[in-house]
Amino acid sequence: MSNPYVDLGLSAPVNVSWEVTFACNLSCLHCVSDSGPKRNGELTTEECRRMIDTLASMKVFQVNIGGGEPFLRKDFLDLMDYAHQKGIVTCISTNGTLIDDQIAGRLDNGLVYLQVSLDGARAETNDAIRGEGSFRSALRALECLSKRGLGVSINTVLTRLSFPELDQLEGLADSFGAKFRVSRFRPSGRGKANWSELSVSKEDLLLFSEWLSRHQQVSTGDSFFSVSHEDRKSLGLNMCGACKLTCCVSPLGEVYPCAFLQEKEFLAGKLPQDSLQFIWENAPVFHSFRELEIRSCESCLRFDFCHGGCPAMAYHTQRRLGLPDPECLANCVTRLPVTAWRHETGDHCGPGSSGN
Amino acid sequence: MGQEAAYCLSAGVQVRREKFGLLFYDYRGPRLYFAPTRDLIQEGFFGGQVTVADLTGEICGANGGWPRKIVQGWIERTLETLVGKGLICEQSVC
Repeated sequence: MSNPYVDLGLSAPVNVSWEVTFACNLSCLHCVSDSGPKRNGELTTEECRRMIDTLASMKVFQVNIGGGEPFLRKDFLDLMDYAHQKGIVTCISTNGTLIDDQIAGRLDNGLVYLQVSLDGARAETNDAIRGEGSFRSALRALECLSKRGLGVSINTVLTRLSFPELDQLEGLADSFGAKFRVSRFRPSGRGKANWSELSVSKEDLLLFSEWLSRHQQVSTGDSFFSVSHEDRKSLGLNMCGACKLTCCVSPLGEVYPCAFLQEKEFLAGKLPQDSLQFIWENAPVFHSFRELEIRSCESCLRFDFCHGGCPAMAYHTQRRLGLPDPECLANCVTRLPVTAWRHETGDHCGPGSSGN
Repeated sequence: MGQEAAYCLSAGVQVRREKFGLLFYDYRGPRLYFAPTRDLIQEGFFGGQVTVADLTGEICGANGGWPRKIVQGWIERTLETLVGKGLICEQSVC
């Protein structure tokens, strides 16, 4: 069963993912937004301020800021000050390259949480994905932020390279007093081209699922409900929140169901021409997403845990919504011999009829 | 929990009205809490100025005939739950 209160329809998103620029000084292999140079038509400072006004009037609780690298925007800290003055909590995803003591000091106001991206516990591993010198820069940022006691986490995208180093990454986070968060790699943006090279195998996803159960303090946001066991059910959402609890605004002001579905066919509207409140309430794309049912999953034993998983994964791998997440736990275990999944999952669940 | 008690949001907690009642957001989690209070409790109640007795009176007044004792009991149970979850705290009214 999904959340009956959410099903009634919320008046506004709980949080909004806002990619504030395409500009990035790194060129990560898995970048969801294919960031690089700044692009024409990015929202101006004034347009961003108006958007913050809207978010505040809609009572959006939290804005998750990403990019590109947000700190490359010259007006970024002023915009954050403006959002914080309005009581909006922000969570900033950064590669850490531009963070110094001065910036850390400016962010020390109790309304900011930072996620510093790191894709390996060793420079060799991380820099292979994120670029030369990025490991050292991220550690320097973590030092500046943790020295001030700011809320910070290391965020790692689960790939074939980072998977073997999760324990060390968790230890590294601990050494900075930071939390550890693992995000899902999806074949969108630059991730499409590098999907086959970097995505983890089904067998490794099963092992990762077990690893998550042993590491309850590791957060995953809304990334891994599709492979999480019952013991993690209370730690977060067990459903896709797109268009129900969250949505995404691109650097150009385009509004999408989520950061991983920034495709023309999912464009719900564009700021500042359209109002975010109007889009949230009326956009046909959002309505159809709210009504999305992954019927072939409904008889699966795990349906209550994942409700069909991540629609973006289904779309990017099968070009259709409404199909099961190809990397859900049930789909993973059916790929293995029965004896293997019984061993791996401890009989928490069996392979459901997930329609694969 | 006294009738003269008033309540405010705990640090890091925000609240807004929804169809089902009140939606709380706790930044420290972060986590959400859905309180099915319908339109009986407004966000403004958690400003620390309105007492439980005031709220009871308001609800009974707006819904003529509702028994005060039952309304009072519902309010107390609701507030106890919210206090237990660390979303609100009691504040003395000067």
